[in-house]
Amino acid sequence: MKRVAVIGSGNVGANAAFFIAEKGFADVTLTDILEGVSKGKALDIMEGAPIRAYRSRVRGADSQREIEGCDVVVLAAGAVRKPATKREDLFEQNSGTVKEASAIVARYAPGCSVVVVTEPVDLNTALFISESGMPRKRVLGVGGILGSTRLRYAVARDLGLSVENVQALVFGRHGEEMLAPARFTSVSGIPVLRLMNEERFQSLVREVKDAGDFIVEMAKRSSAYYAPSAAIAELADALCRDTRRVLSVSTLLAGEYGIEGAAMSIPAVVGERGILKFLLPALNRDENELLERSAEELKSLLSRRGV
Amino acid sequence: MSKISVIGAGNVGATAVYYIAEKNLGDIVMIDVVQGLPQSKGLDFLHAAPLREYRVHIYGTNGYDEIRGSDAVVLTAGIARKPGMDRMDLLRTNAGIAREAAKAVKEYAPDAVIVVVTNPLDVIAMAVLRETGFDPSRVLGMAGVLDATRYCTFIAETLDVWPGDVSAMVLGGHGDTMVPLKRFASVGGIPLGELLDEKTTERLIERTRSGGAEIVGYLKTGSAFYAPAASVAAMVEAIVKDRKTLLPAAAFLRGEYGFSGIFLGVPVILGKGGVERILELELTGDEREALARSARAVRQGIRELDSL
Repeated sequence: MKRVAVIGSGNVGANAAFFIAEKGFADVTLTDILEGVSKGKALDIMEGAPIRAYRSRVRGADSQREIEGCDVVVLAAGAVRKPATKREDLFEQNSGTVKEASAIVARYAPGCSVVVVTEPVDLNTALFISESGMPRKRVLGVGGILGSTRLRYAVARDLGLSVENVQALVFGRHGEEMLAPARFTSVSGIPVLRLMNEERFQSLVREVKDAGDFIVEMAKRSSAYYAPSAAIAELADALCRDTRRVLSVSTLLAGEYGIEGAAMSIPAVVGERGILKFLLPALNRDENELLERSAEELKSLLSRRGV
Repeated sequence: MSKISVIGAGNVGATAVYYIAEKNLGDIVMIDVVQGLPQSKGLDFLHAAPLREYRVHIYGTNGYDEIRGSDAVVLTAGIARKPGMDRMDLLRTNAGIAREAAKAVKEYAPDAVIVVVTNPLDVIAMAVLRETGFDPSRVLGMAGVLDATRYCTFIAETLDVWPGDVSAMVLGGHGDTMVPLKRFASVGGIPLGELLDEKTTERLIERTRSGGAEIVGYLKTGSAFYAPAASVAAMVEAIVKDRKTLLPAAAFLRGEYGFSGIFLGVPVILGKGGVERILELELTGDEREALARSARAVRQGIRELDSL
């Protein structure tokens, strides 16, 4: 049995453990710096195991050293957004957590794959790679996959069709600057613009861009965590079982789309050894320019923190 | 709990029951004319229920009255075409079986949606529609889902990606007369044309067309049943769970795509009412022509049915 270690047992980390147990593809070690939290949540999950027939064992550990020997590390520690704050505001607050975690992962689980979800995800993915010295193809940020699942849902709901028939691809920087060209969304193979007009589609893209803010505003004391946790579980599944799923993941770019030194989401095939290959569908000039602009800003934010 | 009846307890029928049970889609009745066959398979499934955690009941019987109140009926009964067999003989035998089944559905499950699998399915679907007098939205044939899943499998294999991330739409008849729509296939949202060259795609389409024959070639005395049964289960799920799933199926056309009065493979939205909508796509000249060829083959089949 593969093992996934989750650093940070808040809503995102604990629900990722929950979804992994429901799927049953790996054991989970939950950790947190707050003593007892991970043990309490792990016990709560396991007490449902007889009813839910779990194959996975979920356990909590107070020490991050317990990640030793795991196959996948999920980095879900750090502060989440509060109403009327920006994603990037969290970088200052969370970069310390990410640096600490990267040192621990490099020391205790150097051969693992890493899923970064701590916000701002694109910046922390780049920071983690730079701090840990791990290969870029083993460190994957939950960005585009979350935008994609939200867009799939929005399209399915709008058309009144089943969600599993909808494929969608979201690229680029997580948040306002995400890129979702309509030609990368389809329903049972049929391009979405044959089923709705461009304006309608763009209104759904708008909804997805606003989804994170909307949930923060509504939930008041937390940010979104169900869909993010589902995205983590899907990535962890691909990494543990070598499913070779086509997923949009935040990755440190090294020349893809002419960009270097910033992490953003692009479609990739994900398997046991991390990113197996990038799929690089052609972008038009406007789209590529948007990616370049996002990259410049991300790079300047990174350099301010010495990355 | 929904109720699903599967008529014909051969390989396709029994394997469809397996997938339906694994997904706990509803209580299942298996019907076959062979004494003891559906009973034995039904019991065998039930013996696996504790291990597989089935929450549905499975029952095998020779009596058509047991389909009473079914939400969905799958018609798989019939003979397979053997080497040297005249196609009229095949049609005569299978149309007879289908009519008998259709009569029973009309009597005992007048609200059911019928999924026809028995070949030649576009023609058998017509026989079933006539016999039941059902609204045409509640009779449809399984073929496109099978062609599409084979096509997706070959694409996934070629690109070395998860098959579930590939989706494709096909039109027209099954196998030889299938009309694959190159523009309407994608991988994780990426149009197929971005990932595969024309020549490779053509090769995969060709393999899809002869997908059934490839399996027969290996088996010699049998034909495919796992993928066909999985296709049936996907359609049954769309119906009993009212999923509003967009998939290709043989539906009765009334002017769509320029054809009337025949069953032809088209994209449909499938839900508890059966075919809830037929989606009309703009086709290229070549695609329209290929679809017309499929339609001619179906009309020929119907003429044969009428001449029996």
